[in-house]
Amino acid sequence: MFLYLLRRFALAGLMLFGLVCLTFIIANIAPADPAALAAGPDAGRSQIEQARREYGLDKPLPEQFLRYVTDLAHGEFGRSVASGRSVGRDLARYFPATLELCLVAMTIGLIAGISLGMLSALFKDSWLDHITRIFAVSGIALPPFWFGLLLQLGFAVWLGWLPTSGRIGVSTEPPDPITGLLLVDSLLRGDGALFGQSLSHILLPAIVLSLPCLASILRVNRSEMVEALRADYITAARAHGVAPWRLVTVHALKNAMLPTLAIIGLRWGWMMSSTVLVETVFDWPGTGLYAVSSAIAGDFKPVMGVTLIVGLNFMLVNLVVDLLYGVLDPRLRDA
Amino acid sequence: MTMKITRRAVLHGAALSTLAPNLTWAFDRDGNRKILVFSGNQAVPVLDPHVRYDWSTRMIQQSVYDGLLKYVGNPPKIIPWLAEKWEASADGLTYTFHLVKNAKFHNGDPLDSEAVRYSYERALKMNSGIAWMLKDFLKPDKIVAVDAHTVRFTLEKPFAPFISYVPWWYIVNPKQVLANVSDGDFGRKWLTENAAGSGPFKLRRFDANALIHLDAVPDYWKGWPMGEANRLSGVIYRIVREAAPRRAGLQRREMDVITNMSPDDMSQLAKLPGVRNEDHPGFTTFGIKFNCQSGPTADINLRKAIAYAFDYEALITIHNGGARLMDSPFPPEMESHIAVPDMPRKDLAKAKAFLAKSKVPNGDIELEYVHVQGLEDARRIGLVLLDSLRPLNIRLNIVGQPWTTMVARGGKPDTAPNMTSVYVTPVGIDPDTVAYQYHRESWGLYYGMSHYENPEVWAMIAEARGMTDKAKRNALYGEIQRRIVADQPELFGMLPNRTWAMRDYVKGFEFSPIRFTGEVDLYPMWIEG
Repeated sequence: MFLYLLRRFALAGLMLFGLVCLTFIIANIAPADPAALAAGPDAGRSQIEQARREYGLDKPLPEQFLRYVTDLAHGEFGRSVASGRSVGRDLARYFPATLELCLVAMTIGLIAGISLGMLSALFKDSWLDHITRIFAVSGIALPPFWFGLLLQLGFAVWLGWLPTSGRIGVSTEPPDPITGLLLVDSLLRGDGALFGQSLSHILLPAIVLSLPCLASILRVNRSEMVEALRADYITAARAHGVAPWRLVTVHALKNAMLPTLAIIGLRWGWMMSSTVLVETVFDWPGTGLYAVSSAIAGDFKPVMGVTLIVGLNFMLVNLVVDLLYGVLDPRLRDA
Repeated sequence: MTMKITRRAVLHGAALSTLAPNLTWAFDRDGNRKILVFSGNQAVPVLDPHVRYDWSTRMIQQSVYDGLLKYVGNPPKIIPWLAEKWEASADGLTYTFHLVKNAKFHNGDPLDSEAVRYSYERALKMNSGIAWMLKDFLKPDKIVAVDAHTVRFTLEKPFAPFISYVPWWYIVNPKQVLANVSDGDFGRKWLTENAAGSGPFKLRRFDANALIHLDAVPDYWKGWPMGEANRLSGVIYRIVREAAPRRAGLQRREMDVITNMSPDDMSQLAKLPGVRNEDHPGFTTFGIKFNCQSGPTADINLRKAIAYAFDYEALITIHNGGARLMDSPFPPEMESHIAVPDMPRKDLAKAKAFLAKSKVPNGDIELEYVHVQGLEDARRIGLVLLDSLRPLNIRLNIVGQPWTTMVARGGKPDTAPNMTSVYVTPVGIDPDTVAYQYHRESWGLYYGMSHYENPEVWAMIAEARGMTDKAKRNALYGEIQRRIVADQPELFGMLPNRTWAMRDYVKGFEFSPIRFTGEVDLYPMWIEG
């Protein structure tokens, strides 16, 4: 087990290094001049050259790369040329918002996806099954950008139930962070009003973000459940008089969960990257929005930082999924 | 029976839900005072007034800081602010400013001549942001605090536009800045997210990517134009990137003023009850810069042919009427502006005559037109150009590129596209601000992408910026405008209107074209009712 973990970590480290190389190359083949960006639009040549020296952009590329990697090893992501701020500090500020959004979206996806998947497997080929199928297909097909705008129009403008965008009301002072997750922090502080406000703000973006994830969990879970419910051990259990709900939720679901788990892991990774779209529509102040606004400005250090975080997150989730496999399936523990 | 009750409950619920939008607050309140919520698409990455400026950044800077002078009104004029009066020496070298006696910073420190001297020195030494405006004419050691309320600037050589840039040089509190210097950075790191100003508002919350909350300063040294009773509690600048949520926010009264809306959005917003549009002729020019150094557009006859083939009226149509055609390289409100008599307008016969004189008399070439990716108007103008060039048998390749990529390409004549469309907002009202864009020194900058070459015109531009005789100077600028149009370094397009949509209870809005696209002066604004 220890050796297995060690191998996985080494592999993850290697992949991460590959990612660093790739993002660095992509950021540097873009024809934009980061020094000109740092100096501002009306800056003259002397100002641009000064900015170039200040950000170390006058050094040859291999040297810049070496410096970037050394900085990364020390936990430094470099400085944004547009604002001069440390990317690491910015990421620390924006990441909790993205994490919170993804956690809520994943919770929605898991609960709705697994239960709907189970139900449509139990009532296979019934109207319920057909409806969830349509729902699932459109869930994957709907562009999140468009769907987000539609929800805003419906729930914020026409019905006026939920706010259009942002993380909390504009005139509400955010509390000093404990975990950085507003829902958790407001509960820890016992601030019900703030909790309600955070919840109303997170609902629409979380639903949009959860939809593709929900849909794929639903489809995989359904087909696995159909498969599991047909299996001999279910017939045997039924013959032994196991209660129907126990049969479905424990015996069948546990077996159907293995492939579902793989999809959940994959979807978590993708979710982090689709925050780029959802956060832009809802002005959710997270890493996705940070990456988009930096990319538009041609400011690449923040984009590289976010890419690394997303990549790291992908790897960690895969690792966790692998470990959970062992928990769910004893046969895999020794393998 | 049960069924009936349920249905009634549902109906009640539905009735309540239709009321819900009316339950939202008309405006945010803080105690018994109101907060104005302004929303635009652009973040404020750096608040430091000596490091960066763009429309959103400067709107906040103008609110928390004061300058010696201030731009107001339309046509823009410069009024005394921290300086109650100033005088210039006859040789145009020495400027003396006399400060008001009652100005103080937000922390209570008096704003004196030393603060002014320090602020100018800081901006010049840091050499970024606004420094380019004065750095060739003003050296830090030539700024002298004569007494507590008098500052004297001695220029290296006469520079007529000097006063026109002074309003953008904001005064910071040296004590606060010096207390927050790290590694000799002039307090830059600290001022990125903090303020040390004397302006009408002080910073309450700064989140560069989401919102900026400003509190009105109750005892602002200059007083409040709307009277103490109507003064706001503060202003929130909220960054919302997409136009649709901004529009929704205004409809729902989550926002009081919004900007960066498309002409079509503006037309629709005008129909909403309780919403008023502010629509004013702008100062920003839209031009299509030709590459005058290499490629087919280096040929003046081809440039002329394109300029005469272009359908100018379409520029107005694209803006639903909200634009004016350029009649000079200078915006109409600028000093010394003349309507150049031979400004090209669509004339296919002339276009063909110029084409016949060019190196490609039969056309049959493909040109590249580059615009900023995501700018819908600029892309549509590209389509108009494509259509206009068809009779000349010239094909057009329309390319959208990110701003930074476009500017990097335009930096050198060999890589600059044949045609690049850019919006340029003059930073001051002095004609030099625009004229200098056509000088050799501007090659490589975003407004110098045409790499225009005419040593005679360059010499005239250089001469005019040092002239003190106003009449002679105006005459020279008249000639400069005529000569530039004759050389056709760009297709002179239009000046789009500046637009804002706001709830009708918002009062005190004052338009001044010298401010950047979405920028407004928040100081005189208030909410009625």
